[in-house]
Parts: sequence; structure tokens; C-alpha cells
Amino acid sequence: MNAIEARGLTKVYPPSTRAVDGVSFTVGSGEIFGFLGPNGAGKTTTIKMLTTLASITEGSCTVAGYDVKSNEAEVRASIGLVPQDAAADGDLTGMENLMLSARLYKVPDEVAKNRADVLLGMVGLKDAAGRLARTYSGGMKKRLELIAGLIHKPKVLFLDEPTLGLDVQTRTAMWEYIRGINADEDTTIFLTTHYLEEADSLCGRVAIIDHGQIKALDSPSALKASLGGDVLEVELPDGPDVSTELSSMEGVSEVSRSGNVYSLKLVNTGRSLQEISVGLWGLGLKVIDSRITKSSLDQVFLNVTGRSIRDEVVDNGDAVVARARAERARS
Amino acid sequence: MMSETKELMVRDLKKWFRSPAWLFASLVQPVLWLVLFGNAFNPTSMIPSFPGSVAIQKQILQSTFGGAPNYITFLTAGMLCFLVVTWAMWAGGPLVTDRSLGYLNKLLVAPISRTAITFSLLLSSILKGVLLSGILLVVALVLPGGLVFANSFDVVDLLGIFGALTLLSVGFLWLFMIISVRAKRFETLAAIGSTLGLPLLFASSALLPAASMPAWLSEVAGVNPISKAADIIRYLIIQGSISGTTLTTVASDFTYLGVFAVICTILGVFASNHGLRVE
Repeated sequence: MNAIEARGLTKVYPPSTRAVDGVSFTVGSGEIFGFLGPNGAGKTTTIKMLTTLASITEGSCTVAGYDVKSNEAEVRASIGLVPQDAAADGDLTGMENLMLSARLYKVPDEVAKNRADVLLGMVGLKDAAGRLARTYSGGMKKRLELIAGLIHKPKVLFLDEPTLGLDVQTRTAMWEYIRGINADEDTTIFLTTHYLEEADSLCGRVAIIDHGQIKALDSPSALKASLGGDVLEVELPDGPDVSTELSSMEGVSEVSRSGNVYSLKLVNTGRSLQEISVGLWGLGLKVIDSRITKSSLDQVFLNVTGRSIRDEVVDNGDAVVARARAERARS
Repeated sequence: MMSETKELMVRDLKKWFRSPAWLFASLVQPVLWLVLFGNAFNPTSMIPSFPGSVAIQKQILQSTFGGAPNYITFLTAGMLCFLVVTWAMWAGGPLVTDRSLGYLNKLLVAPISRTAITFSLLLSSILKGVLLSGILLVVALVLPGGLVFANSFDVVDLLGIFGALTLLSVGFLWLFMIISVRAKRFETLAAIGSTLGLPLLFASSALLPAASMPAWLSEVAGVNPISKAADIIRYLIIQGSISGTTLTTVASDFTYLGVFAVICTILGVFASNHGLRVE
């Protein structure tokens, strides 16, 4: 049984904003599946529909085998949600936050206590469990949220931007926790992110979403492979255009030129490099500078959407700063 | 539904006890009101002292203030009502905060009834109201020149007081809950609460008898549920075990409050379940 099956999922906000526009995908049981896209791409709206928080305008989906439209209660009992904002209750201790979650999911106290201990230990919060959550750092709150979503052993865990606003070190640690949950608990994980590294490192499969539509969907390595290989950039001295000569070389599939810088798409990076250096030497061309750009999800994103996700992130910097500020004001 | 209602109610009470400023303000505010308002607006102290003035004061208390031995005794009933209505206004506040912090999303994806979310806040607000009303009664009793109960005042009368306060508070709780489940910002709640709070109080018989008001205001006060509750409590405090025509008046005021509470509950449950969507 698939953990999630979405068919033509659509959300229209009045009057006519199509926040999510006919999205279809399936997530297998036990998979870590990622939605990668810039802010405003429709990631959070998709999560809201899958978790019964927002109504579905068109299309249908099942989560943990239950139809989201007609079996809200069963869906809710089978899932966990870790929202984008670290929404732990600051006036409760870490332990109280967990126990409250457990009781809302009808987990017996004894079971919940043992489980809370294990989970707190797993994310390194055991010593802080008795402190009010308002005294936690941003990273600690995120970790608490993560395990609060797990206390009832959900079949499917939804993580909305799980590492947003965290420093690099904490982010890497969070990835470890998420991998651990997926492996040890056999929990299917659906996560959204606009961090390329996160999707690349964590997800078995990634859907690239932009303007509410899925532009590409595959494993990160397959997506990267679809680009047709790494790119070698060489800067040559002033002179005539040698694009034709370069493209006829062994191991080069495509050449583009910007001034004296030529971009060569490589068939097989290791072998091609040797052949190209021999070829360049044969043409009597002296290389001023060169570098290899490995295929990345950023390039995949560029390829399928026509722009770089990194630009989007910078554009949305203000929103991130505003959110961070709100977070600080709260704590 | 009951177990999750209890859990969420306990959460709200814990938050209250753990916010020292909020707790302190809740305890001190009604006492300040009673002491300051009770002394500054005391109508009998406005009569200058002259031979026979005490008799006139007594006559005013007898004819205008329903036979209350002093103004604080009259005012205590009104202050109790004001206290629970103020609590009712802010009862949905945590909902607005939970929504803006994202906590509400966690509650809405949990397998719990929507009504449990609002009902838990309602119950915790009633509990706070009962506790603070009790404190206010005690403070009014120990104030010099303060609250004096009728000789025949008994436990049934005390229960009557809390019964009237609960019905009043249930009605206003649901009315303001309808606003709270929709409010995206705390400012909305604050604006509505601060605009309506005092006018609701002044347009009632909580501070002064409706009979002493201009006709139009007296009519407004006549339909204001705060007046009904204040009148009931006053009869119980000043006359004690009631009977005869007073009993009929009190019974009809109770019915009025009951109908008010039931209608508001039906409206409130329906509108707040509907409003508790995220979208």
C-alpha cells in the first residue's frame, strides 16, 4: 500500500489563485519523499491539504490508505505534522509538551512516558525535558517539535521546512534524526524544503514544484543524471570561435560559449577530461582557467523552471528575516 | 471528547498560573475596581454631613439601591458580573495566539473534536471566573464598610450567585468565542473587547440602578444580561432566602439568562466549529 496517493490535487484560493494546480504523485510506504521548491510554490498548501487542514478544491488523495476528503478522522489518527514554525507551547516544559500531544492521540500515559524518554534521548533533549520550552533555543524547539510529531508513532510524518532558519550544524544533525526516524520507526516521511542540499541528502525521491505544479519527479541522482552530465568551463585566450572544434571532440556532448569562456557538457567526466586536454593541446590552445561544475539539483531546478532556486531564496530573504525576527520576539 | 477537553483545559490553566503578570493582574484588578469605584462613586458619601443626613442616606439606599446597607454591597453584585464578562471576552485569546504561532494547526490535525478546542477554553474561563469571584466576595466582606449579607443568606443563595454568574459567563463566552476563532490578530480581539467592555457595564444595572438612568438607557439596561445577573445576585445578597414576588422576579431573570446562554451556545458551537478551519 502506498503511504500517499495524490491525483490532480488542486487548491484554488478565491478569487482565482491556483496555489496548487493539478499535482499527482505517490509516496511509497517507508519512503522519504521531498517537495522542493521556492517559497510560495505551493509546498505548504499541499501539506495542508494532505493533513486535512485545508479543503481540497479539485482532485483527490489518500493518506495511509484513507481518503482525505471522506475519512478525515482516520487520516488524522494516522499522521503526524511538524509545522513550519516551531510551535511548541513555551509555557509548558518539554516533557509536558510531549505528554499533551500523546494524550490528544490517546496514547496511554505509561507508554507515552517511555516513548518520550526514548525520543528525548534521541534528539539530545533529555536534560532539558523539565525546562519550560520558552527557554529553549530555536534548534531545541525544532527538535522538540520533531519528536512531538512522533510520540504517537504515526504512519506518515509530515515535515514542513524542518530545518528552516537553523544553522548548518543543527541542520545536519536534524537530517540525522530524520534518517533515524525513517529507518528505526519505519515511518514514511513527506517533507518540504527549499534547501537543495536537504532534498539531495535526505530524500529518496524529490518532486520539484513551482507555481503549484510538479515540474520533475525522480530520485536526486536520476534528476541530476537527466541533465546529461557535468559541465567543464574553460577560458581560452582571445581568438576565433572554436565551438565547432570543441564540440567535435571525443567525450563532449554539447558546447556553449560566453565570450572566451566555453561550457562543455561532458559524457563521462573522468575519461572526457583526458581526451579534452589532449584535444586542446592538439589545437594549440592554451587554457587560462578551467573549472568543473558537477550536476546539482540547482541545475535541475534551473533546467525545469528556467531560473535558479538560489535566486528565489535570496529574493525571499526578507520574508525569512521577518519570520526569524518574529521567532526571536516570541522566545 | 471529554478527555481531550480536560487536557486542553489543564493546559490553559497551567499557562495562567505560569504567567505571573497575568495572574497578578487577574487577582488584583477586580479588587482595585471594587475599592476605588466603591469609594469614589459611593452615592451616599456625596450627601454632605448635616443633622439628619444619615437618615437621608439610609432612605436613598432603601429606595434606590434595593435596601442595600451600603453602596459596596450593591456594587459587589455588579463587580462580580463585570469580572466574569471580562474573562469571557479574553477567553478566546489563547486561540488567537495559538493560531498565529502555528500551535492551532497541531490541534487541528490531531484526532480530536473541534468543540474540545473551544470548550476547554470555556471551561477554564468559568473555573477562573468562579475562583476570582470567590476571592472578590471575600475581599468585599473584609473591606471596612464593605459587603453585608442578609441574615438569612445561606448556601443555596451562594449557589444561586454562582449559577447566575455561570449562565452569564457562558453566554458571553460563546459570543466572544465566535470572534476569537476568526480573529487572525490579537489586536482584533483587543479592539472589540476594549470597545465593548465598559459600555456593556455602563449600559447595565451593575454600577447604578437602572431606575436612576434616563428612560432610553434604562431600557437598554433592562435587556442587558449583565443587569439580569446583577439583579439576581443583589436580591440574594440583600434579602437572603427569597420568596413571594421577589422569587418570581428572580426566577424570570434566571430564565432570561438561561435562554441567553442556550442561544449563545448553539450559535457559538456552530460558528466556532465552522470558523476553526485553516485554509
